[in-house]
Amino acid sequence: MSHVNSTVFTIVVAVFILVTGIGFAASRWRRAQDMMHLNEWGLAGRGFGTFITWFLLGGDLYTAYTFIAVPALVYASGSIGFYAVAYTIVAYPIAFIFLPRLWSVSHVHNYVTPADFIRGRYGSRGLALSAAVTGILATMPYIALQLVGIQAVLTVMGVGADTTNTYLQDVPLFIAFVVLAIYTYLSGLRAPAAIAFVKDTIIYVFVIVAVFYIPAKIGGWGHIFGAAQTHFTSTNPATGKPFGTFLPTTKKVGSTQLDFVTLALGSALALFMYPHVITGTLAARRRGVIKRNMSLLPAYSVVLALIALFGYMAVADPATVASVKKTGNAQLSVPYLFQNHFPSWFTGVAFSGIIIGALVPAAIMSIGAANLFTRNIFKEFFKPDATPHLETRVSQWASLVVKLGALYFAVELPKTFSINLQLLGGVWILQTFPMLVGGLYTRWFHRFALIPGWLAGMAYGTLAAYNTSSPTSSHWASSSDIVFGFTLYIGISAFILNLAISVVLTLVLRAFKVPEGPDETLPRHFTAEATDAPAKERAPVPAGEARPAPGG
Amino acid sequence: MTEPAAAPSGPGSTGAPPEGRRNPLAAHPITSLLIGLLLLASIFFALYVPLYGRLTPKVGDWPFFYFYLLAFMPVMALVLWVVTLLQRRLGTQAGGPR
Repeated sequence: MSHVNSTVFTIVVAVFILVTGIGFAASRWRRAQDMMHLNEWGLAGRGFGTFITWFLLGGDLYTAYTFIAVPALVYASGSIGFYAVAYTIVAYPIAFIFLPRLWSVSHVHNYVTPADFIRGRYGSRGLALSAAVTGILATMPYIALQLVGIQAVLTVMGVGADTTNTYLQDVPLFIAFVVLAIYTYLSGLRAPAAIAFVKDTIIYVFVIVAVFYIPAKIGGWGHIFGAAQTHFTSTNPATGKPFGTFLPTTKKVGSTQLDFVTLALGSALALFMYPHVITGTLAARRRGVIKRNMSLLPAYSVVLALIALFGYMAVADPATVASVKKTGNAQLSVPYLFQNHFPSWFTGVAFSGIIIGALVPAAIMSIGAANLFTRNIFKEFFKPDATPHLETRVSQWASLVVKLGALYFAVELPKTFSINLQLLGGVWILQTFPMLVGGLYTRWFHRFALIPGWLAGMAYGTLAAYNTSSPTSSHWASSSDIVFGFTLYIGISAFILNLAISVVLTLVLRAFKVPEGPDETLPRHFTAEATDAPAKERAPVPAGEARPAPGG
Repeated sequence: MTEPAAAPSGPGSTGAPPEGRRNPLAAHPITSLLIGLLLLASIFFALYVPLYGRLTPKVGDWPFFYFYLLAFMPVMALVLWVVTLLQRRLGTQAGGPR
């Protein structure tokens, strides 16, 4: 515990205690008659309006990814990091197209998870299982990214024992995580929804202050962009190549344009398929709430763009560059930038904002993944007659296990570019796109074609990501690889492979008239309103009832 | 907070609504086309880097690339708001242009 600034430390601890209090008290918020029901614990009663949904989805979308991972990539590589800005622009029109349909059909049939929908739509438990497994798997590195973000702040604060033992070093992180686990267990989705208010208030304040204050202190925007341009176009003596790019480059100098576009598009397509984002969506009261939010959420994207620019501010600030160089960890650039320029009390506010900004999504993610496990693995394959009470109990425990799994990812994968954790999750979750988003529009895809397509995409994507190497790590070093001479995001190349296989096999299976399986949805279910069928009612085909598999 | 009352099915009704509600595309081809175009255009102009991946014209101290990305956010919010309004005119709550 050397060089800990007591003001910073006190404020961070105070905010953490406040948030913990809110987390525990949240179980009484909008109190339900019976909390032991997945609609309550996992979806907070499905009653959130526009305002709360905005905070909740904002809590989902803007995480340690935004505060630590994106600026770190910008700091280290320049313009390619701004793919994240393009990504948060296009995510909303894409979601606007399909998310309301998912809300409606889930409302009518009382679906809690995306895999519930896939099961009902294709009448295939196997396909639902593949979606559930993918969702759980993809969530873990994303939670791990939150841990890495908290770690970065704690490191800069100087908190942590002076030891090289990873586990001892991370004791404060573990404490924060255990406390989070306990109130998530008790309050379910209500906890992160309530805490999201505090989180976003702090974040909006510190980002807006920082965006005016820091440039004024270090020489203005002209200086910041100038310094970044000089730095990223100069040659790195270690590699003989430029340090990065100040603008996405064209083919002549090794294209980063396609990489930029595929990273942005792939991330945008993936975003609203993550179980935790769908959890946030299904907790909305009305279909209109989702749509309205799509035009309100870009307010968060503005913040994301400004935070990405912190990466350039760090490049332009010699003190921060020196601090980062000493540790060799670009992820510390934003925390150092704040520490070097803000008075201690404001640094404390900013740091606590980043820490809560990582805890809130970690809670929602573990709930989303836990619901997948309960509904589509436990209930489906082990205990079809599970009561709502048992379902909820299982979800509560599963949320703890998911957090442990994330801890493993955080320790095992290279931490230098935590953004790869999020992009790896994206590679996986994108493979459920044909079955999920495809299924929202058409029953054309054959269930037995979607499974091999998914498998191929997962296998290719995982292998390709594993095989990327860099001077500092032999595996999992990047999320882009080169296909036929083009550098592009692995998620997109795997997705194209997946889609091609699904289409070809569907044509074959249809030619042989292989049975397609039952479909419990009707066209009008996809445009249903809250008044059309209350979610509390039983769905036409009771969820969890083992249905015969025709043709099987 | 209220959706337009154009949906013919009354509150609490779980029965099949009349056919007319279900086919907004045929009923309002121009509005539907406009919605589709707005959504596609906003995606295209955000992703097509060759269009904006350059230094000039600078806006204040900001290179064009960075200014464009930041300025796109409010534009996107506005487009999606207009699309929501247009969809209400369809007299349905259809999820998208397709």
